[in-house]
Amino acid sequence: MENSTIYKKKGPLIVFLVPAFAFMALFLYYPFAMNIYNSFCKISGLGTAAEGVNEPWYTNYVRLFQDEKMITAIGNTMLLMLLTIIFQVGIALLLALLVDNIHRGAGFFRTVYFFPIVISATALGLLFNLIFMYNGGMLNNLLLDWGLISDNIDWKDENHFLTTMFSPVMWQYVGFYFVIIVTGLNNISPDLYEAAAIDGANGLKRVRFITLPLLHNTLCTCLVLAITGALKVFDLPWIMMGQGMPMDRSWLTGTYMYHQTFNAGDVDYGSTIAVVIVVLGVTISQIANRIFKEKEY
Amino acid sequence: MKKVLPVILTIALCSSMLAACGGTKTASSGGAAASAAPEAKSVSLNVVTSYGGDDGNRQNYEAAVKAYEDATGNTVLDASETSNEEWKAKVMTDFETGSEPDVLFYFNGVDSNKLIENNKVVSIEEIRAEYPDFASNMKDDMLGASPVDGKNYSVPVNGYWEGLYVNKSVLEKCGVDVPDASTTWEEFMTMCKTIADKGYTPIACSIQEVPHYWFEFTVLNNGSTATHTTVPMSADDAAGKIWAAGLNDFKAMYEANCFPQNTLTAGDADTFQLMADDKAAFAIDGSWKMGWFAENTEDITNYTVTYVPGKGDRKSTDIVGGLSMGYYVTRKAWDDPAKREAAVKFVEAMTTDEVVNTFGATAITALKNGTTAPADADALVNDALAMTKGATGIAAAAQDGLNSNARAALFADIKNVVTGKTTAEQAITDCLAVK
Repeated sequence: MENSTIYKKKGPLIVFLVPAFAFMALFLYYPFAMNIYNSFCKISGLGTAAEGVNEPWYTNYVRLFQDEKMITAIGNTMLLMLLTIIFQVGIALLLALLVDNIHRGAGFFRTVYFFPIVISATALGLLFNLIFMYNGGMLNNLLLDWGLISDNIDWKDENHFLTTMFSPVMWQYVGFYFVIIVTGLNNISPDLYEAAAIDGANGLKRVRFITLPLLHNTLCTCLVLAITGALKVFDLPWIMMGQGMPMDRSWLTGTYMYHQTFNAGDVDYGSTIAVVIVVLGVTISQIANRIFKEKEY
Repeated sequence: MKKVLPVILTIALCSSMLAACGGTKTASSGGAAASAAPEAKSVSLNVVTSYGGDDGNRQNYEAAVKAYEDATGNTVLDASETSNEEWKAKVMTDFETGSEPDVLFYFNGVDSNKLIENNKVVSIEEIRAEYPDFASNMKDDMLGASPVDGKNYSVPVNGYWEGLYVNKSVLEKCGVDVPDASTTWEEFMTMCKTIADKGYTPIACSIQEVPHYWFEFTVLNNGSTATHTTVPMSADDAAGKIWAAGLNDFKAMYEANCFPQNTLTAGDADTFQLMADDKAAFAIDGSWKMGWFAENTEDITNYTVTYVPGKGDRKSTDIVGGLSMGYYVTRKAWDDPAKREAAVKFVEAMTTDEVVNTFGATAITALKNGTTAPADADALVNDALAMTKGATGIAAAAQDGLNSNARAALFADIKNVVTGKTTAEQAITDCLAVK
């Protein structure tokens, strides 16, 4: 390290950091600060100047608690977060453990499970719309052919919308966590498994006492990513369940913010929802970080 | 040497960032220089219209654009989409964020108020000061003056009408006659009940996405062409009571199972497919839907279009229609010397008598010479011509009197009205509260 001028003198380091910081400040922190300010104002169109500060200034924040659609959106987002942790990370872990235990075809499965990530969410939304379509949709046609139902099922109605909306989201991102966990598994030394085998540990015991503890940090990363990712889910639900259908039951914080800002022209309220999304994201991921603290090995 | 490397890297990093920032300017100034050069007259025009998606006139529009490009050597960068509330919001956002097109085909009613108020589009008067023959083939008093200042800003292509499309095959299977000018609302509801009892869908309509047309006619049925465009000030005034009665008729239709089982979750394309699949009997839509039937149905003679049955003072032959959209030259294009003429000529090319005739001979027109039906007009076109010619009264759409945010709120609430989650009066009050 003696020859490393770059670490001795801080000048060049700052020169490198400043442009990136300026970029972030201009395109992230300044808009975010303005967004907070906008949430106190009255703005009736994107790009139009604020017509002044709301009277009282916290009007939009009071409205959040009275707005049934917002309460629905937060409820659905929390549910999505929970389902993401259970199903996306859970299934990804299961698949990764299974793939890790096979010797042939592991590469094939890695590609297969990761593939949905590559497809755009809009295309997936349209695909699943065709699967869940009421008249002539794949699912209804199959069930009718097999004699399991006598009439078409409206998969987007109030009894089915949660499954219809969340299952494609779960399916899409399993591959993402799968790849992270597989990488984590590859970092575990085979020596440990060999030693365990000599000691007589069978498959399940090896998973319980070697794999899972050593995967702890990887799983923590997955959890934080899953939690923050759930708050950002927008495209698939928007394509499949546009305008909060059915009966304003399927709003998520992301889709509702977009609707208020771009469709209803209520930019200040949209900004307020954006603030809530950030606050929720930061708070919940902090809590998750505290609970699932990374361990030093 | 030790110092040189970080300095070089720093300069490289900064210059790459600055190069990225300056890229657009360099490109655009290069383009302007090219446009100004006498030997390079080709201009790229950004155009936004509602002739995108499955619009029935999409092919006619594309043909007219191609003819303009071939004739002038200019390039049209088309970003057309289907007209819906989201599209309208997007167009307005483009103007507000300074990324508006050079030519826009858009609504001329309340929807365009902000464009006029903020001087974003050029009036025909101003254009004619430099191009005296601009839109000279049109009747000035039918161009669709702005509600803001009564001036003309847009040049219409064809007007629109809204009518009842009928699947004759479904009616025949149900033993029901095709409604005509003498059919009353009560008779129509009886027809719907018979059709529903036979296992068909009486009316193809997505309440979730496009309740607009049935709103228009249920409101018209409770008023008249004279009162139709009056926007209520409150749910309790005369216009408010008409709207509330209309919404309650809508609810009665929903309760009588007139709509598809999944009307609260289906999209417009899904429900209209029922018409093509011989599963639904009726649908209200506009003149722009004519092309859809020609393209998406196996036998066009299986379909007709007629009057929406009337109720009370409204005659069935009173229709909703008008000239609600037109081509605007934006201020941005007008102030750009390279684009001004290209934009004006584009609008002229898209609104010649010949082009307007290809866009729908059945529609209401502002052409001084009127429109002529094509010699090879199909049965549906002839039925539409007969309908518009037999019309006893015409009113513009009531919803055009609302700003887009209020309209979005009203139509989003119709599902709540029909399912009883809110009352018609409350929905009107909530919509009028949106400014």
